[in-house]
Amino acid sequence: MRRLILLLFALFALTGPAWAQVRSVEVRAPRPFGYFVGDLVRVQVDIKVDPGFSVQAASLPQPGSVTYWLELRSITVDETRQADTARIRLNLVYQSFYAALDARALEIPGFALTVASNGQSGITTAKAQVPAWSINVSPLREVQPPPREDPLEYMRPDGRAPLLDPEPQLKWAALFAGLALLALILLARDRAWGPFGKRRGRAFAAVQRSLRGLGRRPDQDIAYREALIALHRGLDETDGRRVLADDLPAFLARHPAYRVEENGLACFFHASRLTFFGRETAAARSQWSLAEVEATAGKLAAAERMAGG
Amino acid sequence: MNTIRHGDAMLTDWRDSATRFQNEVGKVVVGQERAVRLVTIAIFARGHVLLEGDVGVGKTTLLRAVARALGGAYERVEGTVDMMPSDLIYHTYLADNGRPRVEPGPVLRRAEDLSVFFFNEINRARPQVHSLLLRLMAERSLTAFNREYRFPDLQVFADRNRVEREETFELPAAARDRFLMEIGMEAPRDAQARRDLVFDPRFHDTDALINGLQQGVIDHAAVTGIAGAIQHTIQASPEIEAYVVALWEALVRPAEAGIRISGIDMAALIKGGVSPRGLAFLVRAARVRAWLDGREFLVPEDIRDVFPEVMAHRVFLEPVYEMRRETIVPGLIRAVFEMVPAP
Repeated sequence: MRRLILLLFALFALTGPAWAQVRSVEVRAPRPFGYFVGDLVRVQVDIKVDPGFSVQAASLPQPGSVTYWLELRSITVDETRQADTARIRLNLVYQSFYAALDARALEIPGFALTVASNGQSGITTAKAQVPAWSINVSPLREVQPPPREDPLEYMRPDGRAPLLDPEPQLKWAALFAGLALLALILLARDRAWGPFGKRRGRAFAAVQRSLRGLGRRPDQDIAYREALIALHRGLDETDGRRVLADDLPAFLARHPAYRVEENGLACFFHASRLTFFGRETAAARSQWSLAEVEATAGKLAAAERMAGG
Repeated sequence: MNTIRHGDAMLTDWRDSATRFQNEVGKVVVGQERAVRLVTIAIFARGHVLLEGDVGVGKTTLLRAVARALGGAYERVEGTVDMMPSDLIYHTYLADNGRPRVEPGPVLRRAEDLSVFFFNEINRARPQVHSLLLRLMAERSLTAFNREYRFPDLQVFADRNRVEREETFELPAAARDRFLMEIGMEAPRDAQARRDLVFDPRFHDTDALINGLQQGVIDHAAVTGIAGAIQHTIQASPEIEAYVVALWEALVRPAEAGIRISGIDMAALIKGGVSPRGLAFLVRAARVRAWLDGREFLVPEDIRDVFPEVMAHRVFLEPVYEMRRETIVPGLIRAVFEMVPAP
């Protein structure tokens, strides 16, 4: 049995019906002796009360200094209900700072708790007095130690700190550094920082996407015009300026990757002129059909990928 | 017997004439193909031309060559500070019999046959003279000797140099707006042309050079009719109309069009100008370019090619930027063409 019952049944004479409300107060501590300066004193207080009663939090002792040598470190409350009774269990942790010169008994002061029941006729309260109890404290060493030459020898060497294994932390650090680098690369790509500054959008890939489904449109003339405009915008985006038909040689000089499609582009500009400015969409379509627009866009997109755009 | 020719065929013949005209002028003015081409466009658009550039780059030679190749009556005046409008219209002198005489001046001397009026160093003339030119250029008419003179075929060519500022008068905005083009001329970049100009004695005697040109390569009296036919034949699609209007909008309100030029507050750059007349001139000139290219419809390249010469002098900047207009306006025009999509 680990715990020793220190005090049993400290019962209090309370007048009237209050007598029955607090049925018993029990204080349990592991041992009443063998405490040195700095030791923790753990105490368990069981209070049995009538059903319906519970402790009022405001009446609990507050953690902090109790006497000049004693401090309450923590207090927890655990309430359980049984058939005909309610149990309030307090777990208190004290710490003694008494530097004893000889073995002596010290009294830990008691305290009063308020228990309350919220019944039909209003709130009924009662007091539960936790009694004072004592512990025996002992000195750590003799009062007058033998003289030493070096005063440092009175001191105990520092306890050895355990060696921590840095391996897992290093692994985590490497993992997170990798993730951070990846995030930085993604951010730099998104913001076109540094080497990504030269990156262009995949303009012709977007054109190719936008051409999909145009062939199934009911009005093929409008679809054809839309396809030509999409290709115009792709060229504009690739060059960063508006590319007109007369600019084709200069455009190919600036972007040699698209030289493979020089003929297609020349046909495109011719068809575009006929469609938009010559108002001869039908003639343009017969010379350079929508299928050829799509084929050229596909080749341009391939050239764009090869160029690493 | 007159053979009735199809309109298109007539325009094709005239296109060949225009090419011959350019070649003829190009014999005299070497290394200035663009200036010659723009002057040709101006002739067939019936617009007046202001040439400006450095001293001795061939402004006067070009205009004299054009006047000779064009044929028709030709008058020339030199702008001076003490010139008055009446000096252009009347010639006053004491006759042999000692009585004062008033006779028609340079503008009226050839009366209504005048086809080229060449105003040298126009910025040396006073604003009063510029005002006279306003009516002459806009309406091709003038009132003198209590009657109205009409010059249906008149074309005003003027030049000015950019070097001197003393004793010169800036052309008023209204006068500048009436010029179809302001063509900037620079010494040719081409090495062979430069060598020829400096070492070939043919280019040293300008009079002999001009006199060596074939006169009247094109029939100046018919140009007005042909110019009208060109304007009616060359088609402008709705797309090109939208393009020109978008260019106009972007030039007048560059900030709203999303144009940015570093170091310039785009919202406070343009003060005014860019008149509807300017845009109409632009389309006229572009149509002539399309015709010279052998097309029957306008394309954006036509607009872009003539745009700087036709529009740059119509853009008026806020005073804080006006001193830098020679760098700002070309940059702005380039940015406008890079921004506005076509079609």
